[in-house]
Amino acid sequence: MDAVSYPNAKVIDFFSKFLAPVRVLISSTPLPQQFKVKWTPTFVILDSQGEEHHRSVGFLPPEELIPSLTLGMAKTWFDHEQFSEALSHLDRLISEYPKSDVSPEAIYYRGVSRYKATNDAGALKEAYQKLHAEYKDSEWAKRASVYRLL
Amino acid sequence: MSKPIQWLSDLNDAKKKAQEEHKYVLLDFFNPL
Repeated sequence: MDAVSYPNAKVIDFFSKFLAPVRVLISSTPLPQQFKVKWTPTFVILDSQGEEHHRSVGFLPPEELIPSLTLGMAKTWFDHEQFSEALSHLDRLISEYPKSDVSPEAIYYRGVSRYKATNDAGALKEAYQKLHAEYKDSEWAKRASVYRLL
Repeated sequence: MSKPIQWLSDLNDAKKKAQEEHKYVLLDFFNPL
């Protein structure tokens, strides 16, 4: 991370705009034990109350780190049932990083967020259709496949 | 050249900054080796 992702200008800008970041040495106490972290790097996104909403294990290059953290930000709002804020992060992730590994999950959560905000089941079906058309082999296409019946 | 990432010293500082500046806390668990 120190050699590749953290010196990247886009990553630096992203951190400055959105994050309050802390580095935690895996051999320190008490946070690794408190968060049950067993391997590095592990990235954990928390809200301002310290509640966890997302984590990722393993090295991420800049073009995957930014969308992964963006997904975590969206899930923070999703968990608090603030769907318009979740959607704003998900829309940005999907449009700016369509080839990211987390884009299919973002499309899934966008469909669910839209459904929960509007009660329109068409949002779930649209998520399935996009996943089936563009990310057919992803696990999220499988998870959304039941929505084809809506 | 961009200024490097500004890491905070602990979780309490990060929670305070997140609350005041409407940001998200990121914990990066790392091993220097």
